[in-house]
Amino acid sequence: MKTGSSVPPQAGLSTSCEIRIDNNLSEITRVADMVDDFAARHQFPDEVVFALNVSLDEIVNNIISYGYEDAGHHEIVVRVALARGNVEAIVEDDGKPFDPLAAPAPDLTSKERDPGGVGLHFVRNLMDEMTYTRSDGINRLRLVKRLAR
Amino acid sequence: MKLVEAIADDVMVVEAYGRLDSTTSKAFGDRLISLLQGGNGSLVVDLKNIAYISSAGFRALLIANRAATGREGKLALCGVTGEVRRLFDIGGFTSEFLIFPTQADGIGKLRP
Repeated sequence: MKTGSSVPPQAGLSTSCEIRIDNNLSEITRVADMVDDFAARHQFPDEVVFALNVSLDEIVNNIISYGYEDAGHHEIVVRVALARGNVEAIVEDDGKPFDPLAAPAPDLTSKERDPGGVGLHFVRNLMDEMTYTRSDGINRLRLVKRLAR
Repeated sequence: MKLVEAIADDVMVVEAYGRLDSTTSKAFGDRLISLLQGGNGSLVVDLKNIAYISSAGFRALLIANRAATGREGKLALCGVTGEVRRLFDIGGFTSEFLIFPTQADGIGKLRP
């Protein structure tokens, strides 16, 4: 027979998570693991987890592949949080200034197009909101996905 | 990412499981090319069980598709549903591939 106090169901359920990764493509696995774990704990719909994982893969891949002018070690911060019924992902890097919102839309009709050029096009379509700021040598991209449709 | 490979009616079938992203797509694409070069050039790739696909995954599929065509073989996709299907449409990739509803449909169409 159960007696005594019970733990409230929300206890210990953090509303944000953060990871710091190296500028190495293999590190993206750790970002996806964090997103999957956070999404499972908060029971995000499949569509939201899909959008977050694809978008963060595109953004972090872009930063690691094209963001740095030296071959040195850099840190990228990825934070995912619940805020007012939205899921918010923030990516910060100290690479060269790059505003993904200003990137041209790919030509989807060209047969010879570079399939990699479509990544940011995916992000713009999958997320509900994107904001870019640059300050103190840091690119900061904020992506928002609404939980309720 | 995990690949399960089989042969049905002389058609190679690859079922992909997990993430098709920046970290896994290179090995995925290399494996598809190697299967296309080793077999009779007919390959069905089942995407039903992938968690998601990013542009890196599409790049691998496009390269494999071109390799198949170059060898007068055929690459067919199946299990393209839900959010994955939506990305095919957003990226304008739907018309670039032979897409069938199920593995059996793809095998039936590619069978020599």
